[in-house]
Amino acid sequence: MEDTSSSIPPNNATTPGAAKYLAGLPSRGLFSSNVLSSTPGGMRVYVCDHETSPPEDQLIKTNQQNILIRSLMLKKQRGEYSSKDGKGISSNDNGRKRAAEKALDSRASAKKATTSNHAASAQVSDVLNLVSTPAETSKTRAPEIQNMTVEKLRALLKEKGLSLRGRKAILDELIARLRGDT
Amino acid sequence: MSVWNYVVTAHKPTNVTHSCVGNFTGPQELNLIIAKCTRIEIHLLTPQGLQPMLDVPIYGRIATLELFRPHGETQDLLFIATERYKFCVLQWDTEASEVITRAMGDVSDRIGRPTDNGQIGIIDPDCRLIGLHLYDGLFKVIPFDNKGQLKEAFNIRLEELQVLDIKFLYGCPKPTIVVLYQDNKDARHVKTYEVSLKDKDFIEGPWAQNNLDNGASLLIPVPPPLCGVLIIGEETIVYCSASAFKAIPIRPSITRAYGRVDADGSRYLLGDHNGLLHLLVITHEKEKVTGLKIELLGETSIASTISYLDNAFVFIGSSYGDSQLVKLNLQPDTKGSYVEVLERYVNLGPIVDFCVVDLERQGQGQVVTCSGAYKDGSLRIVRNGIGINEQASVELQGIKGMWSLRSATDDPYDTFLVVSFISETRVLAMNLEDELEETEIEGFNSQVQTLFCHDAVYNQLVQVDSLAGVLGGRVGELPTVYLGENMLWREVIRAKYEMENRWMTKMVTTPHGCGIWRTVTSNSVRLVSSTSRDLKNEWFAPAGYSVNVATANATQVLLATGGGHLVYLEIGDGVLNEVKYAKLDYDISCLDINPIGENPNYSHIAAVGMWTDISVRIYSLPDLNLITKEQLGGEIIPRSVLMCSFEGVLHFISGTVLCRNPENNGLKISYLLCALGDGHLLNFVLSMSTGELTDRKKVSLGTQPITLRTFSSKDTTHVFAASDRPTVIYSSNKKLLYSNVNLKEVSHMCPFNVAAFPDSLAIAKEGELTIGTIDEIQKLHIRSIPLGEHARRISHQEQTRTFALCSVKYTQSNADDPEMHFVRLLDDQTFEFISTYPLDQFEYGCSILSCSFSDDSNVYYCIGTAYVMPEENEPTKGRILVFIVEDGKLQLIAEKETKGAVYSLNAFNGKLLAAINQKIQLYKWASREDGGSRELQTECGHHGHILALYVQTRGDFIVVGDLMKSISLLIFKHEEGAIEERARDYNANWMSAVEILDDDIYLGAENNFNLFTVRKNSEGATDEERSRLEVVGEYHLGEFVNRFRHGSLVMRLPDSDVGQIPTVIFGTVNGVIGVIASLPHDQYIFLEKLQTNLRKVIKGVGGLSHEQWRSFYNEKKTVDAKNFLDGDLIESFLDLSRNRMEEISKAMSVPVEELMKRVEELTRLH
Repeated sequence: MEDTSSSIPPNNATTPGAAKYLAGLPSRGLFSSNVLSSTPGGMRVYVCDHETSPPEDQLIKTNQQNILIRSLMLKKQRGEYSSKDGKGISSNDNGRKRAAEKALDSRASAKKATTSNHAASAQVSDVLNLVSTPAETSKTRAPEIQNMTVEKLRALLKEKGLSLRGRKAILDELIARLRGDT
Repeated sequence: MSVWNYVVTAHKPTNVTHSCVGNFTGPQELNLIIAKCTRIEIHLLTPQGLQPMLDVPIYGRIATLELFRPHGETQDLLFIATERYKFCVLQWDTEASEVITRAMGDVSDRIGRPTDNGQIGIIDPDCRLIGLHLYDGLFKVIPFDNKGQLKEAFNIRLEELQVLDIKFLYGCPKPTIVVLYQDNKDARHVKTYEVSLKDKDFIEGPWAQNNLDNGASLLIPVPPPLCGVLIIGEETIVYCSASAFKAIPIRPSITRAYGRVDADGSRYLLGDHNGLLHLLVITHEKEKVTGLKIELLGETSIASTISYLDNAFVFIGSSYGDSQLVKLNLQPDTKGSYVEVLERYVNLGPIVDFCVVDLERQGQGQVVTCSGAYKDGSLRIVRNGIGINEQASVELQGIKGMWSLRSATDDPYDTFLVVSFISETRVLAMNLEDELEETEIEGFNSQVQTLFCHDAVYNQLVQVDSLAGVLGGRVGELPTVYLGENMLWREVIRAKYEMENRWMTKMVTTPHGCGIWRTVTSNSVRLVSSTSRDLKNEWFAPAGYSVNVATANATQVLLATGGGHLVYLEIGDGVLNEVKYAKLDYDISCLDINPIGENPNYSHIAAVGMWTDISVRIYSLPDLNLITKEQLGGEIIPRSVLMCSFEGVLHFISGTVLCRNPENNGLKISYLLCALGDGHLLNFVLSMSTGELTDRKKVSLGTQPITLRTFSSKDTTHVFAASDRPTVIYSSNKKLLYSNVNLKEVSHMCPFNVAAFPDSLAIAKEGELTIGTIDEIQKLHIRSIPLGEHARRISHQEQTRTFALCSVKYTQSNADDPEMHFVRLLDDQTFEFISTYPLDQFEYGCSILSCSFSDDSNVYYCIGTAYVMPEENEPTKGRILVFIVEDGKLQLIAEKETKGAVYSLNAFNGKLLAAINQKIQLYKWASREDGGSRELQTECGHHGHILALYVQTRGDFIVVGDLMKSISLLIFKHEEGAIEERARDYNANWMSAVEILDDDIYLGAENNFNLFTVRKNSEGATDEERSRLEVVGEYHLGEFVNRFRHGSLVMRLPDSDVGQIPTVIFGTVNGVIGVIASLPHDQYIFLEKLQTNLRKVIKGVGGLSHEQWRSFYNEKKTVDAKNFLDGDLIESFLDLSRNRMEEISKAMSVPVEELMKRVEELTRLH
């Protein structure tokens, strides 16, 4: 079929209009019979009485992660890779990152089970995690705090005698307060 | 009617939305796959043409359909996405001949605004990912892994919000999409993006092109080596790639569909909104594009999809007209067209309006639809049954029997038609001019009634004749035969004395012959050479016995004389041998030895119907031993028996049988049909090995005696039952189906397959012999009346035998006024326009009604119109026109201006009820002050709708379907002369049709393809409760309903249960005609249980769930279907294998036969 274009007569001025372009239409030998039978046999209606659910891993779902969060995370990962390649980071540092990733992973899996409200708050804490990680001082406490629910954070604040005001959406404020305290 | 409704499809969707070509059913098999909204059809391309293979129902409305081939696969996979955000990847399992699910999933998002321009689903040419554009601003990616398996999908943000088209580009190292979009200044641009699977994001692509044609709406990616993309606009076509930009101007047109011709992408077929087919050529030197050329090829239906098949054959799928198979010819025809339409595939869609009529006054409803759109508009007459197309007919009184004979045993066609009358037999044959003329078979006895004729082996013909009458005359003169006991019949025999004539010689030898009346019985079987036409041998019945019934096949003759004598003869070369004789207990009423066993010329069994004990018996041949005796019951004797076998429809694909069940594939099922004298038909399954009769079933076909005869059409055997309601009996999926024939009364039928009219039938009707061909054997018979314009409303007037239409004609020549609106009057027999009333400029016909008014015996057509001014959002002016039909002409009698569009007109208590914009208005038909003439006078009205689009009335009740406020119920109060609102449904449904089922239940269809019923709550305790229409039934139909009408497509036979079930017919955009039947509660409960059990056995193709598919679904809610049953699912019970049926029977603890009987009854609703 590659030669169909070349089979068009290049300068056949005698054939009128479309005729010169209709030469050499692709053919694989079908519809070649002179007598075309219209509809030999009827159309069978398909009744599907076998199992039709797809193979287990081929039941496709959409990744529910927010596009912005995902891109930020990917950027972060890329940042790590590039910095790893470029500067070289101590093994200690690496270990910490992995731990953070693990935390993220576990949260991601836990998130699937949670309701949308929880997912939203988790996303906020994702951001918080990303934003706060570089500047973090107390490395050990970070995942702990991030995993906490608002109630727990409030309890912690109360324990420390800090203000309880503020909504979920401004979690970072709460955590900043806690951090500020430590 | 009732709350418990059963929804079933009488005519499947025919609107072709998508099509594609690829190797789906096998690596070497090329398929055309067609999507018809909720069904896909798989066809096989063969040297002989398109061969239909499979019709696959899909539990969803197909939004996208693509064939693709992942790496390492030898055949293509089918990707389908549905409008309810499900997708599946299907694969054909060649061994099992099944469609299997490779992958499926839900691609809906919790948030997102559904796209306005429809869903887009595309597959990367290198099979790296599937792209979906379902919500504005989001592009969903389903990546493939390197084994061709799908991975988790993810969304990418797409900056462009008004996307018109997206395609993948060929030949890109990374998957690259090209996006055609409109910006907020309404300018159109294209942009390319690379999809980065690693980053799950877009990367700016290799090129972009701004400020394209303002009508650009379609992208065509060009395959390698050229690559790039074609952008099809309304005035220009542009080729764009990273390195090249070529444009050509075109005649203004909107391109609706394209089809690629060459694999290298150098030629494309484009179909536009006027149905013109163009060829677009990319001229190139090697890989460099040098220019574009466009050539007009000709006209087709308005295409929605174009698939180049092979060898210049093209499939044109259409939403607005019939789909077509066309051939592109190298040379233009006389009109300059290169397109030759070879085949048309009927499409009823879009059905905008229809009416139910009984044109032939046979007591059977027919649906006349306004189908198609624009230039492809047409009327379709849809009736249940099979049509006979008359080729020729001749007046002939008193036909008693007909048989066709061949001139040689191996001749494929029939030559003679033997027509028997009460005292003579005539032989007709086709002459060289293809005219039927009388001829003679010398060996036949033509002065007697023929009981039976058949072709016999060794180029012979056999005739069984019978005469019982009185003969008289004088020697030397013509003898005269007086027939019948009272000698009322007189026939002069035209034969000469010299002629070798048996009863002449007898007469001469009679001593009292001269001038003496004597009784003569003449009963013989004559064997005649079909080449020389001479008598070769003759067998006489014993003296004193007259042959009453006889039958024969190529080698055997069986006849019965009075007194229950049965004689069996065998046919040899030039001899008739009497082989066996038997004396039965009673007289014999009918016989059959149709060979249905392995030997096509010889039958091992004979079927015998008996007088007195009303039984049918099976005897063995040649010994005439009784094998089976079946009492028929009742007092009506069997009048015709027939043994037949139906092969069903065989599905062969490259020599392999498609059906998996051994009982399906080609094994014939044999039946014994036994027709009674009162129009009933009994059928039994006949075991060919044991002669046993099982599975007795009884149906009523008419009220008169039935004569049964087999015939074949398209190589399949069917049975014709001639009676007062002629019926064709055929088999489909192992079921016997009965289809009415559009003839009034047929006494006899015989197949008459002559070269000039192959597959013809000779039909004896009252005083007439007709030669005709039979339509395709299918349940519904559709006749098309092309109009060349778009009919939008239709009404039938019984009294004047006319139809009136509101129609629009689109003209391309007149640019100022491209649309012209008419009221047309048609004859209801010829369907020709007999009168036309043109409407004003900008005036649309919106509604039509045939009605009469109180105090006036005339019948009128009332037409409601609207002036649709370009600058107005809603029409503010309209008219009601009242016409009377006089001498076949439309005469305008009265005219009333309205303050808006007249969306609906109803006859209401002898007055006229109109829906005008947001108002319901009642008009009375009053005399004018000047005396004689009449006019419409406003009586009262009711405000309070957004737009009152659909109105139905019953008594004083008015049911209004609103544009967006669902259904409301109004009542007309006579005393106050006012219309008041009684109740309403407070849901926000955008209505598309309403109908009143009974006093309390109203049916509605809305624009999310749902059906629902609401109930008036008269017993409510408070006003608040009473003012609410309670939603009682909900169902997702998956079809956009444009009209409901009470009525039925089938004959209502008074003695069947089904006859009592009230039905409503609906018509949809996809060309579906459906039936909604209101069931008694116990039947509903039973069928609901059956449906639940069927769901466990019949699985949705692609893993789609039936329960989800039928759940009521709109933007706000999704709830399970209630009080509606899916008849299509329930009736597919009959297509299941026996094992599966038993499975269900066990689960329901109901015998299979009982289930089959109940479901079969339902199939007779449509």
